[in-house]
Amino acid sequence: MSDIERRALVRGAVLAALSFTIDGAEVWLSPSQAQAQGAPINVLRPDEVETLEAVGETLLPGARKAGIANFVDNQLGVLPGDCLLMARIASVRPPFVNLYRAALGAVERSCQTIYSKRFAQLTSAEQYDFVDRMRQNKIEGWQGPPGPFIYFLLRHDAVDVAFGTVEGIESLGTPYMAHISPERRW
Amino acid sequence: MAVQDKVDVAIVGAGASASVFASVLARAGKKVVMLEQGPDWQNGDLISSEIWGRRLKTVNPAILEGKDRLGYSYNAGWGTGGAATHYFAMFPRLLPSDFNMKTAYGRGLDWPFSYDDLAPYYDRVAQDVGVSGDAKAEERWRPPGQPYPMPPIRSFRHGDVWLKGFEALGIKTARATVAINSQDYKGRPACVYDGWCNAGCPIGALANPSFTYLDEARKHGAEVRPFSTVTRVLTNEKGDRVNGIEYYDRAKQRQVQEASIVILAAFVSQNPRILLNSATDKHPGGLANANGLVGRYVMAHTGATIWGMFDEPDIQNYMGVLAAMHWSYDRYGKTARPGAFGSILWHCSPAIKPNDIGGIANSRNDLFGQPLVDFIKRGSRQLSRLQAFGEELPNPDNRVVLAGEKDEFGFPLARINHAYDQDAVGVWQQACDEGLLIAKSAGAKESWALRTAPPTIHMVGGTAMGRSAADSVANGYGQTHEIPNLWIAGVTLFPTEGAVNPTYTMYAASLRGAEHLAANWNAIAG
Repeated sequence: MSDIERRALVRGAVLAALSFTIDGAEVWLSPSQAQAQGAPINVLRPDEVETLEAVGETLLPGARKAGIANFVDNQLGVLPGDCLLMARIASVRPPFVNLYRAALGAVERSCQTIYSKRFAQLTSAEQYDFVDRMRQNKIEGWQGPPGPFIYFLLRHDAVDVAFGTVEGIESLGTPYMAHISPERRW
Repeated sequence: MAVQDKVDVAIVGAGASASVFASVLARAGKKVVMLEQGPDWQNGDLISSEIWGRRLKTVNPAILEGKDRLGYSYNAGWGTGGAATHYFAMFPRLLPSDFNMKTAYGRGLDWPFSYDDLAPYYDRVAQDVGVSGDAKAEERWRPPGQPYPMPPIRSFRHGDVWLKGFEALGIKTARATVAINSQDYKGRPACVYDGWCNAGCPIGALANPSFTYLDEARKHGAEVRPFSTVTRVLTNEKGDRVNGIEYYDRAKQRQVQEASIVILAAFVSQNPRILLNSATDKHPGGLANANGLVGRYVMAHTGATIWGMFDEPDIQNYMGVLAAMHWSYDRYGKTARPGAFGSILWHCSPAIKPNDIGGIANSRNDLFGQPLVDFIKRGSRQLSRLQAFGEELPNPDNRVVLAGEKDEFGFPLARINHAYDQDAVGVWQQACDEGLLIAKSAGAKESWALRTAPPTIHMVGGTAMGRSAADSVANGYGQTHEIPNLWIAGVTLFPTEGAVNPTYTMYAASLRGAEHLAANWNAIAG
């Protein structure tokens, strides 16, 4: 089979689509489509979603719209063996939701201590400064998983949804060149 | 509990080494069953995506401790093909000096065989799986052997840009040897250089076991039982023979598979874990562990990683393979660096994606916000990676033990301690220094090394092979010293690691061991 034939197999496929349930029907959506269509969040609490989206947007502008919260929430709801989060290959032991809950909680506790506000309510400059200090493990009194590790994981989630999908890679002007797209549920 | 009909061979795992043993023994007419903890991947499962490719890696089964914790899940596999379903298929050989380090330098351990003993198997594996490379050029550094069956793979500008730097420092290079088809081979097509190797190659251009030895094994009747978690090897009353294994099936039901020969071919945490968990009154410290060496000498490679941003419009870094295009053993000498013992292998450069763990975004993990977006955009056509694997010496304190915590089957988790010694760190630091010189000489507009801590790349050891029961767990074929029908296969047998990707050597050693077992079946199986 030639290159062109092989790649034609995937033309038009929705790469990196995940299974979401909307109005009782299972649909395949990319994280950005799920975000745009308001796909339900099933595992994270609304306050956790708010923090995740705000931290994600600080780490990588565009992460909110790219569906970071839908992606993470969707993957926290599957069996560990089905999980696609970076946490899986960063040797985090499941259940992965424990780490995310602890991480997002640690961010909010520190923000309350330092600013008496939630992370999402900080100015952009404050958010940037907070993340920069978290990255370097320089937040005094931090309680939770190590800040640099949380920075690494959430930053990776942001990069995944913004630049790890077919749309994301092609937005860089580089070809995706898939053999097989993930249309079927594993 | 159900007891399955007795088979000739029960193999724990369905990865690369397991597949070699299964292929050889099934072809010899033996009834072979492979117990695989993960899924039985089909080609259609191998989705071209960094994100989806994570499915091929294990969910962490171990408690990781120590100064330099192992990057276990990234390196390990899950499902048929094991780690070789997501590996990069880079196929460097060990050199003769790797096999007798203790004798020659008083460092590390000796292998129970020499390079010359293994060389014919390297050559045969190359034919079996399909290897592309330039053997003559490689023979600058190693004894001569057979030519590789295919010419080198295509090179791209993002690899070639480094050659000027190597040349300036007097470092000779050769085209890298890879288990990837540069042309159609044995009914499998040539590579199309799309850079999705680690997501699994569904067309078989990259030689993952499902297209090679595992395929052979199945064609000759070997059975794979996916989602089977092996917890113990069972012994007879006297404790001098094994007679089967205990495992939990897909329905989480306890099963016993009786067998004439048991082969442990799982990964670094699992082979020792199973042996230690199989303790009996005759083997109170675990099977094959009278000398206390099961679990010891776990090793990883450091990786001196140098990034270069090149002032060219498009170096096509999104294309190619994840293995190398060029490499050099010129700095491989064990004593080539002052004050730090151990080898390095230079290699460049892989296709990179924005969100690969070793990709564009992580090359500058200090950046976030708009600077990260801008960097990813720039890097998507101008960034390239140079790397040197660095050797770690075997250290008995880098080891796998059983933890108090248990899994859902009551099977104690593995606890793995790992820390690099001063030699490994010194080799890594000096390689970083040299890499930056190479980058500068290559004309990189910007270059930097990731120097926060040495990463842990690849993993080997834990059931070292050797010449005697006093200093090793198994002999050079993988047969345990204590129990003749209990065998071990794969990288856990490595007594030292050199500075090369382990898979090619693992294949060759497995082929040697499997053929020895088949040839001496009656004496060993009883």
